Amino acid sequence: MKADYDVIVVGAGPGGSFAAKKAAKAGASVLLIDRRKELGAPVRCGEGLGSHWLDELGLKVSPKAISAEISGSVLYSPNMKREVKIQNPETRGYVIDRKVFDKDLAIDAGRAGAEVIAKTEVYEVIKKDGKVCGVKANCAGDKFEANCKVLIAADGGESTIARMAGIDSTATLYDTDFGIEYEMVNVDCQDLIEIYFSKSAAPRGYVWVFPKGKDVANVGVGIGGLEQGNAVEYLDRFIKNNKRFEGAQTVAIKGGLIPVGEPLKELVADGLMIVGTAAHQVDPIHGGGMALAMEAGGIAGEVAAKCAAEEKTDKKSLYEYESIWRKKVGPKLMRRLRLRKVLEKLDDNDFNAIFENLTDKDLDELIKGDYKPVVQKVLFKRPQLLKVLSALL
Amino acid sequence: MFIIEELKGVSLIKIDRHRCIYCGACVGVCPKLALILKETFVEYDEKKCINCGMCAKACPMKAIDFKK
Ligand SMILES: Cc1cc2nc3c(=O)[nH]c(=O)nc-3n(C[C@H](O)[C@H](O)[C@H](O)COP(=O)(O)OP(=O)(O)OC[C@H]3O[C@@H](n4cnc5c(N)ncnc54)[C@H](O)[C@@H]3O)c2cc1C
Ligand code: SF4
Ligand code: SF4
Repeated sequence: MKADYDVIVVGAGPGGSFAAKKAAKAGASVLLIDRRKELGAPVRCGEGLGSHWLDELGLKVSPKAISAEISGSVLYSPNMKREVKIQNPETRGYVIDRKVFDKDLAIDAGRAGAEVIAKTEVYEVIKKDGKVCGVKANCAGDKFEANCKVLIAADGGESTIARMAGIDSTATLYDTDFGIEYEMVNVDCQDLIEIYFSKSAAPRGYVWVFPKGKDVANVGVGIGGLEQGNAVEYLDRFIKNNKRFEGAQTVAIKGGLIPVGEPLKELVADGLMIVGTAAHQVDPIHGGGMALAMEAGGIAGEVAAKCAAEEKTDKKSLYEYESIWRKKVGPKLMRRLRLRKVLEKLDDNDFNAIFENLTDKDLDELIKGDYKPVVQKVLFKRPQLLKVLSALL
Repeated sequence: MFIIEELKGVSLIKIDRHRCIYCGACVGVCPKLALILKETFVEYDEKKCINCGMCAKACPMKAIDFKK
């Protein structure tokens, strides 16, 4: 290990490993640090990944990292009277094995020239004259310091690195869902991701069944932080009240926090970039964050390498990452955030009515982001929703 | 806030290490960085804690007890 790097990345999740790879490929000297003794484990994820992302990110997923191929999703109304299947390029994808997937991404970063160190925890961010310039870390009991021109905080939901650097990235209960999931065997599955909407089963969130094979699935619940009780209570109830899980056995427990509000107001500071879940870059509708983390990480890595080479790593120069990201992802994310805010206000009866009145095609359009025709149709049947839904028009 | 400040150093939370799945959710919501994940357990600094109870509310595993 050296004492000085162009770029140090904290966190070898999808966001961090992608950033490290891109920065190394662009010629920077890179150190990728992660606390875990084995990258990828323990998993904190439903492991669903849309296949369209592979092209968009230039990502190759090894067959070993794929647990199951998914042909689409199926959504259930709260009263379970109606199910809607959506099978299109947007909903096609994989349920992956993140233990393999995350490690593969770190391997890619290592192959691209980044130094990778596991079982190493960053416990302090070093600043000089207000500018971030390095980290203090503990590598399997040995403490060390390393300097960098750019620090990329990709440390996931805990997001302590940004906060050590003075940026408040604390997750609020209001804007965060908390999820728990059991990987279970003896659960009959199709090649469809199942989503259950119901205020009682998952207030401000949803229940999911993500198949990992014909009879294995991630069965999980996410709930809003301000709701009664804790996620595990909802999951246990859902499983107990559902005959389908009678013979099911749990082979893994996974969980974590899922930011579902706006991304951080500022993604950069002098010498610092924040990417992925640490920056609350998560889809506010389904809570997926892997792809968004990789997308942001890729942009950040390239900009960090360029800025380091030019010796211009103040906030203004690093802002290039934020500006590219906001232009590319911002509008879509904000539209989805608006949809989320509306969905939050609907109760189970509203959902039932919407499911009953809409065709599969309508819901498909809704998911794609074309709200207007659908909203008009719903309002015709349920005019009392005018106030709530007008936010989408 | 005054009462909470007065309680600094007195701990109202208790983390059950046997229940914890080290997911880090409590760390993410703690406004005082009083909780730090050490890969397989959460380290708790009661000197920093303001007993807001946020971590107990967040914990998806219900591994944190908060005595109100
Ligand atoms: C229950 C649940 C279900 C989910 N389901 C899905 C899903 O189906 N699809 C999807 O796309 N997304 C899903 N997500 C979200 C997804 O898991 C995250 O958005 C994604 O992992 C974010 O990647 P990241 O690289 O930003 O951070 P992470 O993957 O969280 O990686 C952060 C890394 O930083 C390391 N780290 C943290 N602090 C330090 C430190 N101080 N020093 C050194 N290393 C540190 C950690 O060890 C970790 O390896 C889910 C999340 C949860 C909680
Ligand atoms: S009670 Fe509040 S301050 Fe104390 S550890 Fe929990 S979240 Fe942090
Ligand atoms: S939120 Fe609960 S399960 Fe997760 S690390 Fe904290 S105490 Fe453990």
